[in-house]
Amino acid sequence: MNIKITHNWLLDFLQTDASPFEIQKYLSLAGPSIEKVEPIINYAGQTIDYLYDIEIISNRIDTASVWGITQEALAILPMHGKKANLKNNPLLDYRFNKIKDFNQKKYSLQIKIEKDNLCSRFTACILDGIQIAPSPQFIQDRLQAAGVKIINNVVDISNYLMLTLGQPVHIFDFEKIAQNNMACMIMREAKKGEKVATLDGKEIVLTGEDIVIEDGQRRLIDLCGIMGGLNSCVSQNTKKIILFVQTYNKAKIRKTTMTTGIRTLAATYFEKGLDEERVEPTLVYGLKLLQQYAKGGIASKLYDIYPFPYKQKEVTTTLPFFKKIMGVDIDKKDIINILENLGFKTKVNQQELRVSIPSYRKYDILIPEDLVEEVARVYGYHKITDNLPPPAFVEQPLEFHRLFKIVNKIKVFLKHLGLNEVINYSMISKKMIDEWGLDEKKHLQLANTISEEIEYMRLSLLPSLYKNIKDNYGKKDTLKFFEIAKVYLPKDGDLPEEKYRLAMVFNTDYFDLKGVIEALINELNIENNNIVDTVGKETIYQKIFLKNNCATWLVEKNAVGFLGQVKNGEKIYMAEIDLEKLMKYSRPLASYQTINPFSVIKLDLTFDKKMPYIELKRKAYQSSSLLNKIEIIDIFKNKITLRLYFSSTKRNITEEEAKNELKKIKKILL
Amino acid sequence: MENLEFFQAINQAKTLDELRELEIKFLGRQGKINQILKKITQIPENQRKQYGQKVNRLKEEVKQLIEKRREAIKKTQTPQFFDPTLPGRPYPIGSLHPLTYVIDEIAEIFQRLGFIRVTYPEVEWEYFAFDALNMPKNHPARDDFETFFIKSLPHKKFGKMILSPHTSSGQNREMRRIKPPIRMINIAKTYRPNWDATHTPMFHQFEGLCIDKNINITHLKGTINYFVKNFFGEKRTIRLRPAHFQFTEPSFEVDVSCGVCLGYGEKDGKKCKICKSGWLELAGAGMVHPNVLRNGGIDPEIYSGWAFGFGPERCMMMREEMKIEDIRILYNGDIRFLEQF
Repeated sequence: MNIKITHNWLLDFLQTDASPFEIQKYLSLAGPSIEKVEPIINYAGQTIDYLYDIEIISNRIDTASVWGITQEALAILPMHGKKANLKNNPLLDYRFNKIKDFNQKKYSLQIKIEKDNLCSRFTACILDGIQIAPSPQFIQDRLQAAGVKIINNVVDISNYLMLTLGQPVHIFDFEKIAQNNMACMIMREAKKGEKVATLDGKEIVLTGEDIVIEDGQRRLIDLCGIMGGLNSCVSQNTKKIILFVQTYNKAKIRKTTMTTGIRTLAATYFEKGLDEERVEPTLVYGLKLLQQYAKGGIASKLYDIYPFPYKQKEVTTTLPFFKKIMGVDIDKKDIINILENLGFKTKVNQQELRVSIPSYRKYDILIPEDLVEEVARVYGYHKITDNLPPPAFVEQPLEFHRLFKIVNKIKVFLKHLGLNEVINYSMISKKMIDEWGLDEKKHLQLANTISEEIEYMRLSLLPSLYKNIKDNYGKKDTLKFFEIAKVYLPKDGDLPEEKYRLAMVFNTDYFDLKGVIEALINELNIENNNIVDTVGKETIYQKIFLKNNCATWLVEKNAVGFLGQVKNGEKIYMAEIDLEKLMKYSRPLASYQTINPFSVIKLDLTFDKKMPYIELKRKAYQSSSLLNKIEIIDIFKNKITLRLYFSSTKRNITEEEAKNELKKIKKILL
Repeated sequence: MENLEFFQAINQAKTLDELRELEIKFLGRQGKINQILKKITQIPENQRKQYGQKVNRLKEEVKQLIEKRREAIKKTQTPQFFDPTLPGRPYPIGSLHPLTYVIDEIAEIFQRLGFIRVTYPEVEWEYFAFDALNMPKNHPARDDFETFFIKSLPHKKFGKMILSPHTSSGQNREMRRIKPPIRMINIAKTYRPNWDATHTPMFHQFEGLCIDKNINITHLKGTINYFVKNFFGEKRTIRLRPAHFQFTEPSFEVDVSCGVCLGYGEKDGKKCKICKSGWLELAGAGMVHPNVLRNGGIDPEIYSGWAFGFGPERCMMMREEMKIEDIRILYNGDIRFLEQF
């Protein structure tokens, strides 16, 4: 949340010798971040004021006002050698007891609050004799600079109050809701489907449980904390008004802003949770401004419904605790000064420090660590030195180490083979699941997705990779992608099993893809491999690949991965591999084979292939004990040329012997 | 006579290839000269020595003549035009996702400080993502607009199933796994329901967690500074600003000085175009909240710690000064983007 206020506005409360740019520099380091300071220039080209654009820290809504920034400046500026004194304190100056004519009985309100979790403090007061006019120049200038639309004196004052004290207020036209000098206000939860016309002229359909006010005639006159109703708003002819200052249940306000999409500045205040004690000075200051600038006169009693008034809270800590967390020596005097300047009251008893918490800090100061933050930030984080943590040995679980290592090794290897790594979303669409005839019910489903494209947690990386090829159509001729990511396998009554997979997709051909897998087998020194020409019925790959153009990669009879051409017959080839199994079977070094010192005889053989190569290979080795290597020299249609390597580990064999072995092989293969 | 035949043939050779053929024909293992030598068995024994010497002399002469002829042919040939500026034979060029490089580098920097990299579930229970981190049930981060929920039955103890919106969920997991000292780095995919030019519903985070006796703010500053100097460069420095997170107290926003103006906000008398103010927002950090320690079974009276969370995407774009107009390009698999890295 950002607010905009001007330098002169700040000077209403603050007396300082710091320039606007110094204020920016010092506050940004120790408190709210002043993102911009811009001079405000009048028609004559003179700088008449400066505009601050301030980012409010999410739990410090108490700083989101001119008064809130003043309080921060009072503590921070003196730490940088700048003067900072208070000219006046609205929390003390604007009290109910300063208003003398509260007991007017001309008009009245009948208030009913249906539930006690709607509004923690409800105040209101009716004014009459209002003269609608333009607001005074200084209010117009300041609001305009802050980016608030100028309407008239009454509406402008309500906005001015909010930015001055950080408490939004609402103003109703009394006569638009009153009957017989009395207005009825029923604060309740909205029903589902109930409609309210807001003052921007829109009709809002409510989802239910929003805080609203009904006028007793079934008319909604306010969408509380968000925006007033059109039927009760202040207009040019308004004579009597209700000044309305409340604090609401923040969770309900937030829910309404999310469901209605209306994000007013008032709502951003209320949804953070406001200080009930701030209601009093806001109402009193409001009456003062309305009397002064809109000729209003108090015409009712003061309504103040405040069932649980703030009771002073205390946090107790010790002086050495500050050093323990900050890591630097800090004087007792500095600690006390900083806390007092921030509005805390302190009591020191030897090492013990008792701190009373003002009402506007009750939500964010709860434990001693919160006080350390207050002291440390104002003291200056830049004054805290840099140290590395003391050395400690923490053992990394071996499975984590191995996982990161193999993932990295595979990624780099595949890159050097010419593949492009892709990172896809972990969620896919129903369409991507249906496309492969997979069952969406077997996937984990998001309950609140923001797009159909990302609704189900992947069970396989392949649907995403197929889409990658499709999305890149026409961008490059040859595409070879890989991805290493988790899949999410649902488990009953528990978190899903998250398994790492390696998947690849090529638009070249099957043997290009298979070649990469074989290269990977070699790189990872995996032994006892077989790539067989079936895919188990129980696997999803049965549904993804063409029946006759797919294969399973087995290591010691365990399926490690699957590969094949996509089912629809497109020239797209994909593979998916279980990374944990790769980890299990991979070895850092290949196993050493004694170098055979004896002669090797190579003989070539060309013939018509009558069986799958894997079969042919098995049979060849079976029929000759001297055969120790087969190389494919050429394949043309069904004709295959093999180079057969014959040798013995015990002696030199002769060419004759090799030729005899070849005869045996021929007998089986031809 | 035979000698003359050799000499004539050699002298008539026109090309180096022809000459090489002759060399094999005459001097090879099955060559003519060897065949002549084999005839030695047909020679009376007393003449064999002389015969052998004669054949060897012939072999030597043929060799020399071939060499001589080779030089002569080379001289007559115009040298082949050789262009060393032609490109070499192409090797495959693939690519890794830019974040892969960044994440490896981050893990490696922290490894040098004795931090171990771990991995924890992306699909998590609410408890680990929120409750354990001191986030009350009604905290805005826990609602439908900030966190993805999974359709599933809730866990009796741990609440609803969600996609972890931050790597901080790993904090409690690590505290359950081991007792202090803890030096953890957790880099993972994280998920939040935002999808526009500056947000993707899936992104990465890296989490640092350090818990030990007497850990204080100076150790957090020192560690982040070490990272920044290693990752962004020696000249870069950090500053802490106040912030608010439920699971740390005090909490900080970490800024890194701009690489162009080095924190001054201006260069050559002009306002810096990269950073505007001299500093760039980098991460959230803080001292681990005592409730978070307690939830992890660690006594906050004895131990203290710090934690931080960074976005590798942001770190990458900040360091490389990558002008990515639309961050969605990181995850849409466009080959024209991917193949650049």
